[in-house]
Amino acid sequence: MTGIKDKKSARMRKAVYCCVLSLLFVLVAPLIPYVIDAHAEDVTSSKANKPVALQHPGINLWNDVRQRNEVTQGSSQVIGVDSGILINKTGEDWRRFRMQMLMPYGAYFMAATITTIVLFFLLRGKLRLPGGRSGELLCRFSLNQRTAHWFAVGVFWLLGITGLILLYGRFVLIPLLGADGFSITASACKEMHNLIGPLFLLAVLALLVLYIKDNFFNRDDITWITKGGGMFGGHVSAGRFNAGEKTWFWLVMIFGFLLCITGLVLDFSVFGQGREIMALSHVIHGISALILITVSFGHIYLGTIGVEGTLEGMTTGYVDASWAKSHHDFWYEEMSATVEEQQGIKKDVASSSTKPASSPAGD
Amino acid sequence: MFEQLVDGVFWNIALIVFFVGVIWRLITVLVLRSKRIDYSVARNSGVSGAVMANIRGFYPRKEVSARIRLQVIAGYMFHLGLFVLLFFAAPHVKFIAQHITGFTYMTIPYWGFIVASEIAFAGLILLWVHRVLNPVTRLISKRSDHIGTILVFVVMLTGCMALGEASSELRVLHRFSVELLMVYFPFSALMHAFMFIPSRAFTGAFLGRRGVNV
Amino acid sequence: MARMKFYCDAERCIECNGCVTACKNENEVPWGVNRRRVVTIKDGEPGERSLSVACMHCSDAPCAAVCPVDCFYTTDDGIVLHDKDTCIGCGYCFYACPFGAPQFPSSVAFASRGKMDKCTFCAGGPEETHSADEYTRYGANRIAEGKLPLCAEMCSTKALLAGDADVLSDIYRKRVINRGASVLNWGVQYKKAGIDG
Repeated sequence: MTGIKDKKSARMRKAVYCCVLSLLFVLVAPLIPYVIDAHAEDVTSSKANKPVALQHPGINLWNDVRQRNEVTQGSSQVIGVDSGILINKTGEDWRRFRMQMLMPYGAYFMAATITTIVLFFLLRGKLRLPGGRSGELLCRFSLNQRTAHWFAVGVFWLLGITGLILLYGRFVLIPLLGADGFSITASACKEMHNLIGPLFLLAVLALLVLYIKDNFFNRDDITWITKGGGMFGGHVSAGRFNAGEKTWFWLVMIFGFLLCITGLVLDFSVFGQGREIMALSHVIHGISALILITVSFGHIYLGTIGVEGTLEGMTTGYVDASWAKSHHDFWYEEMSATVEEQQGIKKDVASSSTKPASSPAGD
Repeated sequence: MFEQLVDGVFWNIALIVFFVGVIWRLITVLVLRSKRIDYSVARNSGVSGAVMANIRGFYPRKEVSARIRLQVIAGYMFHLGLFVLLFFAAPHVKFIAQHITGFTYMTIPYWGFIVASEIAFAGLILLWVHRVLNPVTRLISKRSDHIGTILVFVVMLTGCMALGEASSELRVLHRFSVELLMVYFPFSALMHAFMFIPSRAFTGAFLGRRGVNV
Repeated sequence: MARMKFYCDAERCIECNGCVTACKNENEVPWGVNRRRVVTIKDGEPGERSLSVACMHCSDAPCAAVCPVDCFYTTDDGIVLHDKDTCIGCGYCFYACPFGAPQFPSSVAFASRGKMDKCTFCAGGPEETHSADEYTRYGANRIAEGKLPLCAEMCSTKALLAGDADVLSDIYRKRVINRGASVLNWGVQYKKAGIDG
């Protein structure tokens, strides 16, 4: 009995094994070609085995369109400046420059300069003429020089104020005037700025021609600079123009011409200049303008309330001899040497009510 | 409200004051001249002297030409520029046709308008700065000269501000300043726009009759 | 709230300029102003692709950021619009915009720009909806009628899509999945076409 039972159970076990094996075979067999295929592909090309690592096929094209590596110029049926460029990256740089650098730093720069000037004025007060007026007058600026100066002043401030309104108006004037009110102001400022702008070129050219003669730096300027221009007391010698005035002249020349060139590029937009050139022009224009405006605060302070007797040189053309002696002694000596021939020095016979009737030669 | 006044009543007043005033002053000058009898012996024709003086006035005399070069150049810049942009700029021609003459005529292109106004602005600012700085011109300038200059400058500036045609406010401002100028015109030195011919003619005739080579 | 977007499928755009024409016709834009344009890259070369581009109605719009008179505003649908009464025509938005969307009428050619004009997503402007004033100054207001911009509606290959950003991204995701099923072959085709590399 037991033998039969054993035989029976052994057969059962075999049948179960067969069933399990055939089941396994059915399950595994379809995978075999995959394994072989994978192995074969692995041998022939290792690349194709990693489809995930494949870059998007058009990645270089679209990177170029986004101007990540280089600029791709497309073409368009629409005729226009830059119409073939899909994405212009410089716009974002320009935005960042204007909103995050030019506006805040320009404001800090101007505020700091004004604060410094006010503090200096409170500390030092008006710089008086030592020993008072002598009554002797020296011709400092010819009529043409003064005309050019005041022409430049007029144009510079018309442009400066309109430009500052356009730059800061959104944050300063819209809360005061409202959006509609400021729009009128801004439109007026923009048109004025655009129309008066080219006149600044005329002004800078006139200043260049009429003032360049005495504005070259020389050895005396080094001592002037090392003594701080007499700002902290003590006497410093200078020729017709001191190093500070010369620096101002050359700042006006450099930044003035930069302003004019970039301004013309921005103003006359009909010559096919693209956005990149105009954005770059705007960057230069903004920096130059803020530098000139800021430095002009110092120039105006020294020319008017800072130093006694300076302003009349630019209004009447004549300065007091004691002013010349204390601020421009080399020039005073020069003038004294040639006084008789040129009639540069005049006795201020009556009071200041009688203005020198004849203007100097060369008007 | 203000806009309607400026476009209507003020404009009519200004127009009447301007034309009546100008004609009145011209008649006054001509009548005054006719009452005056010159008893001097006529050495030459007064008429030719008057004509010559009118021509001669357009360019400077040799003796002073170097000294007044700026005035001459800036003067021509301002007057020619203003003339061109006053009478040939497209918006002005349109306005004149609508409100005065009723017909249009040749206009300059926009760029010509801009160039003319640049030149006029440069000339006006230079002339005014020079008038104030030069001791001689400052002495002989009366208040009316300065007011006239400033009014013309304000008219030009408001015109330039209205260039964008952005809002009616700016246009009204320009027209209002023009109306102020027109009302002030006949009673001030601005009358030289018409008076330069009779005044040169008067001097020229006076001198020509006495045989002066004008 | 929905956020309106344009999407242009470079694999579908055939540079027919139908969108440009549709835009001009629907909005009666002035001469010289093109609110929408089709740009073709590698024109006539292997791997040529075209894209239709207009104002992309950015979330952080550079034009609005730099505008000196603050004339831009974003609608509840995320459409960037501007007020021509306030605009002074300074051109700053043109410098800042990456897509070259702001346009200036060239009638005043020398120096002075006119007021800026750009794609409104066919949503008119700040004037009263469907008024004659709105139509002449800003063009059609299809959004108020419940319609999408005509450029996208007209697109023959459905390359240019307009609408809610969520819907658009769903459509595009499906397109990518369908294309991606054969991404390897695709790569081969790109290689053959000379784009890759």
